Amino acid sequence: MSAIGKVSLRDNILQRGPSRERSRLLVFNHTVLLLLTAFAVAPLLVLVFNSVKTNFEIGHNPLGPPAEIVTDNFINAWEQGNFATTMRNSAIYVVVTIAAELVLGGLAAYGLARKKPPGSDALMLYFLVASTIPIWMYIVPLYTQFRIWKLVGTMHGLILIYIAINAPLTIFLLRSYMVDLPGELEDAARVDGANEFQVLTRIVLPLTKPGFLTVGLVVGLGVWNEFLLALIFIYDPNRAPVTTSFFKFVDRFSRDWALTSAGAIIIIFPVMVLFLALQRQFIEGLAEGGIKT
Amino acid sequence: MKGIKLLFVITILALALSPVGAQDVTTVSMWLAENETMECWADVLYTFNDIDPSIQVDIVPQADTWNTTRTAVAGGGGPDIVRTPGPSFVYEMAQQELILPMDTFADQMGWRDFFFGWALDLGLVDGQLYSLSDELETLIMYYNTTVFEENGWTPPDTMDELNALSEEVAAAGYTVFSHGNASWRPSNEWFVGEYMTQIAGPHNVYKALTGQIPWTDESMAEAMEVLDMQMKAGWYGGGVDFYFTNEGPTRRTMLAGGEAAMNIEGSWAIRDMQEYFGDSEGHDWDWVPVPSKDGTDYFTIGMGNTSSINASSPHPEAAASFLTWYFSPATQGQLLTSCLKGPAPVQLAEDAMTELDPRIASVYAELSDASANDRYGYTTWTFWPPKSDVYIYEEVERVWTGEISVMDYLEGLDEIFAEELADGDIPPIPTR
Amino acid sequence: MAVLSQKKPTTIFEKFGDETWRYRFIRNVLVPWLFILPLLSIHVFVVAIPAVQGIYMSLTDWSGVGKNAEFIGLENYRELFFEDEVFGKAMVNTFQWMAFFLTVPFILALFCATVLAQIKRGGMVYRSILFIPYVLASVVTTAIWRNLLSPKQGIGAELAKIGIEGFDIAYLGRPETALMSIAFIDNWHFWGFLMILFLAAMQAIPPVLYDAAKIDGANRWDEFRHVTFPGIRPIVLFMFMMVAIWSFLAFDYIWLLTQGGPSGSSEMIATQLYKNAFLRFEGGYGAAQGVVISIFAGFIILIFVTLRRRGWDI
Repeated sequence: MSAIGKVSLRDNILQRGPSRERSRLLVFNHTVLLLLTAFAVAPLLVLVFNSVKTNFEIGHNPLGPPAEIVTDNFINAWEQGNFATTMRNSAIYVVVTIAAELVLGGLAAYGLARKKPPGSDALMLYFLVASTIPIWMYIVPLYTQFRIWKLVGTMHGLILIYIAINAPLTIFLLRSYMVDLPGELEDAARVDGANEFQVLTRIVLPLTKPGFLTVGLVVGLGVWNEFLLALIFIYDPNRAPVTTSFFKFVDRFSRDWALTSAGAIIIIFPVMVLFLALQRQFIEGLAEGGIKT
Repeated sequence: MKGIKLLFVITILALALSPVGAQDVTTVSMWLAENETMECWADVLYTFNDIDPSIQVDIVPQADTWNTTRTAVAGGGGPDIVRTPGPSFVYEMAQQELILPMDTFADQMGWRDFFFGWALDLGLVDGQLYSLSDELETLIMYYNTTVFEENGWTPPDTMDELNALSEEVAAAGYTVFSHGNASWRPSNEWFVGEYMTQIAGPHNVYKALTGQIPWTDESMAEAMEVLDMQMKAGWYGGGVDFYFTNEGPTRRTMLAGGEAAMNIEGSWAIRDMQEYFGDSEGHDWDWVPVPSKDGTDYFTIGMGNTSSINASSPHPEAAASFLTWYFSPATQGQLLTSCLKGPAPVQLAEDAMTELDPRIASVYAELSDASANDRYGYTTWTFWPPKSDVYIYEEVERVWTGEISVMDYLEGLDEIFAEELADGDIPPIPTR
Repeated sequence: MAVLSQKKPTTIFEKFGDETWRYRFIRNVLVPWLFILPLLSIHVFVVAIPAVQGIYMSLTDWSGVGKNAEFIGLENYRELFFEDEVFGKAMVNTFQWMAFFLTVPFILALFCATVLAQIKRGGMVYRSILFIPYVLASVVTTAIWRNLLSPKQGIGAELAKIGIEGFDIAYLGRPETALMSIAFIDNWHFWGFLMILFLAAMQAIPPVLYDAAKIDGANRWDEFRHVTFPGIRPIVLFMFMMVAIWSFLAFDYIWLLTQGGPSGSSEMIATQLYKNAFLRFEGGYGAAQGVVISIFAGFIILIFVTLRRRGWDI
């Protein structure tokens, strides 16, 4: 145990026990984790398997690996599900909502966190209460209003709703990041003659980048997966996002599980790629978001 | 900073992506459920656009069509042609002036010349014509002829014969009826309405619908007891829990694959029968009228859809002229032949059915014979008021899962129905 | 004229005759509110105004379509609590749902996070994989599980094929199992998120605390009780509040899988609300249910805030 001197305080409790107990513990831990991992992944594996089987094969082999890999399902699903259009639409919904949310939310959070104008406590309470109101309570009045403003059926109309329903989360998150900043830097900048906008963009933004990334990921994921609002507010299939078009697709081809599995894979593919590329930011961001909200 | 500016630009660009449309031609929009049938419809309906270039129809495919339509129309939007799942749904929209009365159009455009009189009456709300009924349908009993032949069974005429046969079918290891409501919960109501007509008899249903007898009448209770017995015996879909999870395609495969013997369902299923039995080697199908208590061939009448004109439509005349074309016997005949769409209740041309499979043509022939000879009955979604209708298909599940008794169920129905009857929220019932 | 127009712009502040006051007002009130205003106004127009309209509608017999609505006071609420059996059932189901989500995912997540916190090698890999279900859309998750739970070609059917009978039942078709099956599916998607939150909180606990516990001769359970749990208590309690609120809003999974059936066994307040507002022409009544949900949620927040005021570290 000569290494003990080198073990830093940051190292884990496992380092401290006798090694036999440690390895027995590790076996237990890994067994548990492997079981849980299988629980999380197996259904997805079945989905992947089924997406490369023929529908006939699924009939007598609904869960196992495919006997022969067929890629036609993806081509058919892509064409019949109109994914070329709906993937582009979803990308627009996600990118524009994130952009607007970050810009407007960043401004608002800055105002709330760094300036604390009179009424900011009331405003925070307002957002907290608003975030608990179920959408079903105001969906029809909202629809009526949107009709009057000619926003129903338009992409920017739906984006406005997305911005609004994500506003409380954005403000809570970004505000909590900004509250933690030391005020001296800003004061120094002001002394140097910077105006409020410059203080925000040159000092506060760079220091709270992780917060913005988190909001972007949380909001983006939410919008990509959103389904019911899109179903109600967008009736033109040329403006529909992937989720509602997948819903229609399943409705239409429900007996072709191979085809619908391929469609499901197409939907989750972009999210998966992004997730695997940014897993640390994704996970830590969401976790941090969860704690700070 | 650059990043932020870029985001601004993207935002503004995207917000500017508003719909741009040329206003030179009048476009009449119509929403249809997105499925394979829709494409066939669209092919036929788009021929309208060749007639007059200044009026064009736009078919928009919709999932969850009715809910989307309802929300859209309630907000003052939606398509020019408002379609609902049946006359009982029109009432509320008419009351709220969300759709237009069409009597003037009916006179101007000669709708009375080709629509059946009783069918136009179905669209009346407070004496004004608000909707045109579409997709005439009736329930029949499909059966797998191959399975029947192999076992030496013959299709039953009476409910008693059906019960006896069902026991045999179940004992032989088949699922009796290929049923399930996972894809369309309200399918429960098909059987409620059907058994009331077949067992209590259409005249009693008429009396109950007009408030002359209560729904708790002995005859209604008997009908519901028979249905409940069959359901609990596991004949529907192979058990109550399977009934609740069998999806549309599963049900079709069960019958076409010879796993199930029979299926009581609407004439709308004909298209699927053709398709699924077409894929299934060595099995074939046919139909008989749903067995009744006394052996009479009763046919329930239903309307699968209605069409109205949206009150917020900027060009109701154009919408009306599209409807005139759409409901014309020629168009309806073509939709029937090409897409097996249930025809609207209009006077079809003599030869409209000649190209059809005789099994299909005979459904409509028998139905019109039944309505001419006082042998027609009622489907819940066409003749019951909306709240009673929802009660019928939702609460009946509680009977089948043994939570409440048939009498409890009928008492509840009677209460809701009486309220709606008193309020006058009831679809017009043609006098018998 | 020239004199007047020169004076005009400063009138408000002139009263006070204090340039500093004016400067402070602009810097501390006006500018911050200008920053807040764009997002706030979008939110007010999309959420607040329609929600207030919704509250008013809950006091009317509004059908959900059109403009005709008659004021009927609290009649909807009376009917809801004293006459509507389905609502009673939906309440019971909602509380069952809440009981499930306040226990199962929490226990699973706490257990898994504890186990995972002790792993050094491969910890990131486990963490990522366990999180994957959380990023899937509800449309996809329900499509996968509906098939896996199918009695004809799902897991149960495959088990029956190899001789393990009894699992090939229609989980979503039995009143006794439907609600908990949906909860199971939703939890499959959800618990990983909770686990990540707890894990992050555990990793933020200073290791020195564990060393101190060790010196005091604490065993693993003592460590969990006296070091780990106090460290993660704020997030656990916070998530308790959030999950409780979310239980009142649960809709997607139920709607996509059973729509509240069979025979109302998975009916929740939110699904019943949807049916009233959109299928039964009972917009006012549905709005009343929305208000009730909001009140429940508000009540839970109130408890949380009160506890915090009383000095609980949450």
